Amino acid sequence: METSRPVIVKRIPERLDKKHARKFLSEVRPFLAADRPQVVFDLSQVKHLDAAGVDMLLDCMSEAMRRDGDLKLAALSAHAAVVLELTRTDRLFEIYENSTDAVRSFSSFLPNMLRQFYPGARGLHHAPAHFPAHPAVVHHEPAAKGDDERAA
Amino acid sequence: MDVKAIVLAGGSNATEHIAAVPIALLDVLGEPVVQRVLTRVEKLGVTSTAVVAEHGCPLPGIRTSLRPNVKFVEAVNGDFWRCAEQQFNDFAQQGAELILLIRIGPYTELDYEDFVQFHLDRGARVSVAVNAEGESLDRFIISASRRNDAAFLLRNELKRPRTPCESYLYKGYINPLRNAADLRHLALDGFARLNTIAPAGTEIKPGVWVADGARIHPGARVLAPAFIGARAKIRASAVITRGSVIEHHAVVDCGTVVENSTVLPFTYIGAGLDVSISVVGFRQISNLRRNATVEVGDARLISMTTTSAPLRTIGTAMDLVTFVPRSLAAGFRRSRTVPQSIPEAVAKPSAALASVPEDSSGQSTVASFQTNLMSARRYGNE
Repeated sequence: METSRPVIVKRIPERLDKKHARKFLSEVRPFLAADRPQVVFDLSQVKHLDAAGVDMLLDCMSEAMRRDGDLKLAALSAHAAVVLELTRTDRLFEIYENSTDAVRSFSSFLPNMLRQFYPGARGLHHAPAHFPAHPAVVHHEPAAKGDDERAA
Repeated sequence: MDVKAIVLAGGSNATEHIAAVPIALLDVLGEPVVQRVLTRVEKLGVTSTAVVAEHGCPLPGIRTSLRPNVKFVEAVNGDFWRCAEQQFNDFAQQGAELILLIRIGPYTELDYEDFVQFHLDRGARVSVAVNAEGESLDRFIISASRRNDAAFLLRNELKRPRTPCESYLYKGYINPLRNAADLRHLALDGFARLNTIAPAGTEIKPGVWVADGARIHPGARVLAPAFIGARAKIRASAVITRGSVIEHHAVVDCGTVVENSTVLPFTYIGAGLDVSISVVGFRQISNLRRNATVEVGDARLISMTTTSAPLRTIGTAMDLVTFVPRSLAAGFRRSRTVPQSIPEAVAKPSAALASVPEDSSGQSTVASFQTNLMSARRYGNE
């Protein structure tokens, strides 16, 4: 079980159209180029997502998977959830309610489907003691804060 | 007896709208809600009817979908209630004895003849239809001579009468039509025959109604119950299923699945999408399962087709003319890697393998795979 590799949590900007998607992709490309990248995109701030944005998410996922890593989505805003469902891409990603759950999922096997059978099991808080510790988490905030990216 | 009717479409500030369009003006199974109410009112034998709608509602073609004898009044400067009052006074001056005032608002299937008879029997100035809980259904009958009562009622947005009025109890079908979910329920209830709303089209197979001019590609699937409105287009490999309603002039592009949803008039839904439990229209999608409404700015996903028929024709002609040049240009732009030698390409290891496993002598182990190592998948007891 790999526990030492960091998990990158990146917050997606409010707008994810063609222009912003390209900018965002150039920002995250270094993380995706790492060996077996473990990346979580937090979509809680997304208020505008179009086909170019969805394309970018798929590009990132394929980039991560090509290097034996994975990309997971967390905290989807209503807009993001509806657009991902509309474009049938929601089934291609592992989606978690929040970034913490998404990060923990890299070290523990608890697919969303199993949650209905174990309603109390949310991440590692209620998980059995023999579950491994979660990996190191690196929250990545944008270097220069713009209109489109507001870090909490 | 001279009975005239005023139908108010809208009048609620916060709710009862989808993308700023009053739900009353939207189509349900091929006909606007307001027109369906007017049809019921006309059975009463009213001499004149007027529809008062909010100003600036961007729904195109609503005037043409109403019958010619219906007067359509668009309230200017947002003075909706003042406009309704003016219309009441006009009807009173034209010699009406009773004026039926209906706000949609809630959809009901009131027996207006019985309602009028109730009003006359009681000798009332103003009568109101109420539900079993005693709440007003925004249906009033006002004696035309009672202009002050009407003015007071309209200035209070039908919430407070000037004097106590007679209550007519209605126990039939009621849909509050407050939001997109209610609009969807109204259509589903129509399919299920829980109300008298019938699809305005021809039943081409059990449970599938298609209106005039609708075009369904032979490769598309339409599963009952479903309704395809006038001049709607369902393109190749699209699937319309589970009580979906495609209203007039809507376009569902190739491969898109519309499941348990309503597509409002003049809406374009892009190719390869999955619309499920939603009401789509006016560049927005209301997802009923998530209870979320989002605006979609990307025209490749959801957009509006032009409402002008000549422009639509020109657009279609332009698409046809430019199809070959566009396809050629796209072909030049696309960089395809075609293997020169098919056998060589087949023998080449999968690109998924970053490196081919090699043995100690540097030979690829792929070719020396031992045939005695076999895997078998078990089927049942075999």
